[in-house]
Amino acid sequence: MSGFSDLRLGFIPLTDCAPLAVAKVMGFFAEEGLEVALSREASWATVRDKVSLGALDGAHMLAPMALAVTEAGEGEIIAPLALNQNGSAVTVSNALADAMRAADPASLEGPLVTAETLAGVVAARRARGEPPLTFAVVFPASMHNYLLRYWLAQGGVDPDQDVRLVVIPPPRMVEQMRAGAVDGFCVGAPWNAVAEAEGVGRTLITASRFWPSGPDKVLGMAARFADARPDDLKACLQAVMRAAAWADAPENHETLVELLARPEWVGAAPDAIARALTAEIVFHRQGAGLPRVEHGLWLVSQMIRWGQVAPDIDPEALVRRVYRPDLYRAAALSLDPRLESARSLDEAAQPLEARLFDRRPFDPSAPLAYASAFEIRRPQGSPA
Amino acid sequence: MRVLVIDPDAARAALVAQGLEGVQPLEVRHAAVYVEAEVVAFAPDVVVIAAESPDRDTLDSLKESSQGHPVVMFVDRSEPGLAEQAVRAGVAAYVVDGLAPGRVRPILDVAMSRFALTQQLRGDLAKAKADLEARKTVERAKGLLMKERGLDEDGAYRLLRKLAMDRGKPIGAVAADLLAFAGVLRGDGA
Repeated sequence: MSGFSDLRLGFIPLTDCAPLAVAKVMGFFAEEGLEVALSREASWATVRDKVSLGALDGAHMLAPMALAVTEAGEGEIIAPLALNQNGSAVTVSNALADAMRAADPASLEGPLVTAETLAGVVAARRARGEPPLTFAVVFPASMHNYLLRYWLAQGGVDPDQDVRLVVIPPPRMVEQMRAGAVDGFCVGAPWNAVAEAEGVGRTLITASRFWPSGPDKVLGMAARFADARPDDLKACLQAVMRAAAWADAPENHETLVELLARPEWVGAAPDAIARALTAEIVFHRQGAGLPRVEHGLWLVSQMIRWGQVAPDIDPEALVRRVYRPDLYRAAALSLDPRLESARSLDEAAQPLEARLFDRRPFDPSAPLAYASAFEIRRPQGSPA
Repeated sequence: MRVLVIDPDAARAALVAQGLEGVQPLEVRHAAVYVEAEVVAFAPDVVVIAAESPDRDTLDSLKESSQGHPVVMFVDRSEPGLAEQAVRAGVAAYVVDGLAPGRVRPILDVAMSRFALTQQLRGDLAKAKADLEARKTVERAKGLLMKERGLDEDGAYRLLRKLAMDRGKPIGAVAADLLAFAGVLRGDGA
């Protein structure tokens, strides 16, 4: 070895960095012949800059970030693998949960909590002349932002007019809620579970309720790396797939929780990490790792809806440039039969019907029409 | 000059203050983390932040809003190439650590002027888009007048200009009104 790593990957301390952590620690990268340096990054903006500029070859990344960077011409990032489904959730402070319960005792009961009661609380606060509620997400180009905005708007709360939306890094969410600086947030695991365990807030809707098998993080790779070193990329995908399958297996969860709880990985309470792992997050099974074009198109529809990108872009062309299920498929099929579930890939790869909690149909062939049909959205061309 | 240094380590704020010695008036404030109320109250001219701070995402999300600030970022020497590449690509003002006090002033000046330029370009772009939109509206209103009133292009434009002067409104607004009323008369949206 020359002392240099073959591959430099970044991650953010969240439960869904597990496939990368496991690939490194359990030796899957090494078995695929790769020496990988994994660096813990402090912010999504730094992840974006480093992958765009070539200081990292790839990273654990918010799926919409790969699309936003490529669309803005800040860099060229591909998503050849989805790291996970589910894990994020909307959590509100105890005070806000109490206000919702006071307005409608049944509002927090049942399997699906909507924002309709919240709309009443918002209106009552406005009538009393109180300041708007503050909600936090982790980054503008994130599934968390679109999930929270969609959920609020579905209940009649305009995320730009009726509440204040701010960006707060994941590890600071719980302390900011405890301090009363935010009334609600949408963040990835383990921070919703941490808020509940510490008695700071109450989770209202999880990603798996919001959109079963919906998108979350991807492995975002610099396109120039993928072009220059296709064999290393394939080996990397194989290692991460094997690690993701390992992380899915219930018999490995105890080890995984112990690993992720360490300060050099996620650094949170083991119980909080265990909760989303056992009940929510899927890494590999049922084709969870496949970067689905339908997911990308839905994300672009929300970027358009909220004025983050101009409505005259070609969503299909952008998503096909970034989302690379072909690379995933090639790597998965060459793992067969070492990774048994790779065989079920063709079944899993059937076009997915996107079914969000409100049952509003999403036709992936018409994302623009979908985006402009929402009652609450930003007028065309005016950013949020 | 009002400078906010966001860094768990107070040493960098001291270094920035040292580098700005002689600037009047000057206030350098150190904060371990970004606290919105404090930042709004302080209203800094420029923010200095360690690139490894999680608060970067908050600052990044504000860059296109009226709450945005010029931001200077410091990176460790252990990140070879990042600062040079970032500056070359123009994405952000990354500065390599080990900063000599003598370099502080020019770096902050560059960050502030670049920020002002970006804000101006963004404003210009928005204005150019609005102008283009107004011109398209005027063209369509002209076409309508030519068809409905049998005017030539010049006559249609003069009529629009007269309407604008009579009402004390911009010609684009008059053209938009005309098109909207024509739509109502045709039964659009009724």
